[in-house]
Amino acid sequence: MGDRDNHGVDLFQRRADGRGSGIDRIGRGEIGGKASGLVFLRDQVLARIDASRFEGIVVDVPRMTVIASGVFDRFVELNALDPDELAHHDDAWIAHVFQRANMPPTIVGDLHNLIRGLRAPLAVRSSSRLEDALDHPFAGVYGTKMLPNNQHDSTTRFKRLIEAVKFVYGTTWTRTARSYHESLGEDIGHESMAVVLQEVVGRRSGDRYYPDVSGVVRSWNPYPFPGCTPEDGVASLALGLGRQIVDGGASWTFCPRRPRIQPPWADVADRARNTQTGFWAVNMGRPPVHDPTRETEFLVEGQLTDAERDKRLDPIVSTWDTQNDRLRPGRIGPAGSPRVLDFAPMLQFGELPVAELLVELIDVAREATGSEVELEFAIDFGLRRDDPARCRVLQMRPMAVHGGTVEVAEDELDHPETLVRSTSVLGDGDETVHDVVFVDPETFDRAHTREVAEELAELNATLLAERRPYVLIGFGRWGSSDPWLGIPVQWGDISGVRALVETSLDELMADPSQGSHFFHNLVGRGAMMLTVPRTTPIAWDALRALHEVRRTKWCRHVRSDRPLRLRVDGRHGRGVIRTDDR
Amino acid sequence: METVARERAYNPFEVAQSQFDRIAEQIGLDEGAKQLLRNPMREFHFNIPVRMDDGATRVFRGFRVQHNDSRGPGKGGIRFHPQETIDTVRALAMWMTWKTAVVDIPLGGSKGGVICDPHELSMREQEQICRGWVRQVARDIGPISDVPAPDVMTNSQHMLWMLDEYEHITGTHMPGMITGKPVGMGGSLGRTQATGYGVIYTLREALREKEMDPSHCIASVQGFGNVAQYAIELFDQLGGSVVAVSSWDQTDRRSYSFRRPGGVSLDELRSITDRFGGIDKAKAAELGYEVLPGEAWIEQEVDILIPCALENQINADNVDSIHSRVRIIAEGANGPTTPEADAALRKRGVFVIPDFLANAGGVTCSYFEQVQSNMNYFWDMDEVLGKLDTIMTAAYLDVSNFATKKHLEMRDAAQVLAVSRVAQSCRDRGWI
Repeated sequence: MGDRDNHGVDLFQRRADGRGSGIDRIGRGEIGGKASGLVFLRDQVLARIDASRFEGIVVDVPRMTVIASGVFDRFVELNALDPDELAHHDDAWIAHVFQRANMPPTIVGDLHNLIRGLRAPLAVRSSSRLEDALDHPFAGVYGTKMLPNNQHDSTTRFKRLIEAVKFVYGTTWTRTARSYHESLGEDIGHESMAVVLQEVVGRRSGDRYYPDVSGVVRSWNPYPFPGCTPEDGVASLALGLGRQIVDGGASWTFCPRRPRIQPPWADVADRARNTQTGFWAVNMGRPPVHDPTRETEFLVEGQLTDAERDKRLDPIVSTWDTQNDRLRPGRIGPAGSPRVLDFAPMLQFGELPVAELLVELIDVAREATGSEVELEFAIDFGLRRDDPARCRVLQMRPMAVHGGTVEVAEDELDHPETLVRSTSVLGDGDETVHDVVFVDPETFDRAHTREVAEELAELNATLLAERRPYVLIGFGRWGSSDPWLGIPVQWGDISGVRALVETSLDELMADPSQGSHFFHNLVGRGAMMLTVPRTTPIAWDALRALHEVRRTKWCRHVRSDRPLRLRVDGRHGRGVIRTDDR
Repeated sequence: METVARERAYNPFEVAQSQFDRIAEQIGLDEGAKQLLRNPMREFHFNIPVRMDDGATRVFRGFRVQHNDSRGPGKGGIRFHPQETIDTVRALAMWMTWKTAVVDIPLGGSKGGVICDPHELSMREQEQICRGWVRQVARDIGPISDVPAPDVMTNSQHMLWMLDEYEHITGTHMPGMITGKPVGMGGSLGRTQATGYGVIYTLREALREKEMDPSHCIASVQGFGNVAQYAIELFDQLGGSVVAVSSWDQTDRRSYSFRRPGGVSLDELRSITDRFGGIDKAKAAELGYEVLPGEAWIEQEVDILIPCALENQINADNVDSIHSRVRIIAEGANGPTTPEADAALRKRGVFVIPDFLANAGGVTCSYFEQVQSNMNYFWDMDEVLGKLDTIMTAAYLDVSNFATKKHLEMRDAAQVLAVSRVAQSCRDRGWI
């Protein structure tokens, strides 16, 4: 019997330590996009990197076991689960049904054995067939569950693991996933899910387990900093688990080739105000209320003061010297002094060659894949000062970059029938639509952004069903996990959109979060984005004058008899939406 | 008549003792240990008078044999069979001792039986036999001494009658007194599947060792009772295919084999099977199965044979009819292979997963049920099957590694391990 599949992944073996070496597989079938990406990364990217060039830091992929997609198929069959039948229920019910179902008897023994030999915290991640494909980016559509896996009793650890796998399985058929499939014209019944069991990178401090740094690096930056080009790439770093970044929370964004170039903040105070203040960690302490259907069941949010107490801030923080209004790298002054997570000791003073390593990673990965790439990673500095830091790459996915075919002349922005104009755009295209959904500026209240998100999901479902692409206009950062910074939609909530307009109000200004899953899906799907500053008016009156299809408490859906033309020129950063005069 | 003649010729207890003697000799067991282990520690023989539905009284002969309980409470099923003999029960009790030891669970070995044919008894009459059996041995069995379970032609209903009678006698609630109870009444999830699944867990490991891909393997199965059905189910899930099964036909009083070269359909056959595992041959023929003589299951051109019926089914008379393609025999039944046939298989290089290892899934899950019943706290299916697979696989790997290290056949390796463990526990207790 072949113990190695065509991805070069060994079959899981029950050994004394309960673990095979490196990457192994339980069950038959595919290992999914995420796991394939990591195997490729191990074999084709990391193998080509000269590690000796990066003193004090080692790079690898975490040990992991993949539950192959055939197990999901069998799980569905064994428990007679029907996606069409479950489509009539909400996500909570679907999660509940999956928790009640039984795992296939062919693999429970392997999982039981695996967990007996494993005491480190585990990340249980989706790795679906379509996930991380170039033309179908599914970033963040499916669930991930973190487990402390520190219970003394292996039976309890086994039960938590099984619950986590079922949780990830359940997210295959959620409303978000369904809507996403529909927008791609894919039948959700054909989706199959592998699951990756990965050791969480980090170490324990008190009741929290977290890495010193999490990050996302991309080889192509659609919003280059002054003095940089898109090809220079972009990286976002945060303290704690990567959820902070991929959910669109505050993080430190920089150009890895020019890490000393400062992001365009207005002043030091502005930078301090927008710094990361909280972080995510695995809860190693008292077990929370049992709720296997909650993704964050075993996560805990810490504050910067907690990390300072844990002695984790020194290499990544600067202190705001308020008297001189300047940032001083490092942790200076007593606890409680204003800290800014700008990773200056590492990036400005080269205490650790992280920026150089990221550049090498994206360069080699770009060459190996032949496309632009995005990598998620985490860094643990180790317990002792002389321990090498360990950078572990958690995920690699291709990035679709659209651009270069449409040219919008400068004077086009002044066209009399223009509804929206922008000099900061993402994407490239020339299309027509008839429908516009906009968050009504007259009633908008940022205390109610969650309700806005719910209304938008409903409107999106209707427009998807009618196969009507549309323009969506709203305030603040789209896809923000912080409802005070923008409208907290998930990509599946607006998956039918062709152009997304992000504008500001006096009370709501935020930069796009480049490391987020939302941002990745936006770029990957070839949707266009137009950022409109406060100073550039949107033709609200003209929009209101269009035929109103539906008005909800916070949003309006209008339709134009004449086509509306979207023209976006990513190369020159110009875009317009206007009535089509052709 | 032919079956009766063979029964006389074949004495399972003699076979069990001769197997034991050979192992004892091999590991240099001292005389005291030999004397202790080659015979049961205790036996109970008794009459069970039952008033039949027609008003007449019939007396049934019942047994309980406790072979050895040095490693923990005795464990073993109760068989209802018209050809039951005390020597069969003795042999099976001894094999239970080795079986619990080989999978390393803290139990001893027992067995019980009643000479009766449930096919000819009403449910009320069977209930009276169950209750009568318990009345005879209530003082000598129980959750901390000897725990019965279902076996040939007994099921969860019989266990519940026995539990009820026991609790009535003792004035307690003791669900751990017996296993194989219905789920929701002290039974364990997974109990129904356990023996058949256990056979396939060990077969899966054997296939890995032999570098045989299950999806390229075909098998023939003797029997279509509980063990066979779940063995087929899991083998199918591993990607394998079963092309022939046999089953007993109560009307014709003989067995038939049912063959379909493309693979039998478990659901289809289940839909035409009676509660004792008898397949309706007319309906099977209508569904396109070839209906062949009972012995035909053994002659099939397959990679794997899985005997899941009674003992003494692969013997000197039919061992040569096993096809040359067969590479593995996984013994789902108790004692299906006679020593003569075993020797012939050894010569041919057929790899045999011995009964008391391969079919130990049942007793392992019985142990889980006993633990759960004593706690009055019950596990979910994933937990039961996860633990079952872990124990079965660990047991297989222990035996396989031991066999490789000591250059032994699997049966000998399993017996040496088991006998050594039991003898050691007797020594540790100071019995010998």
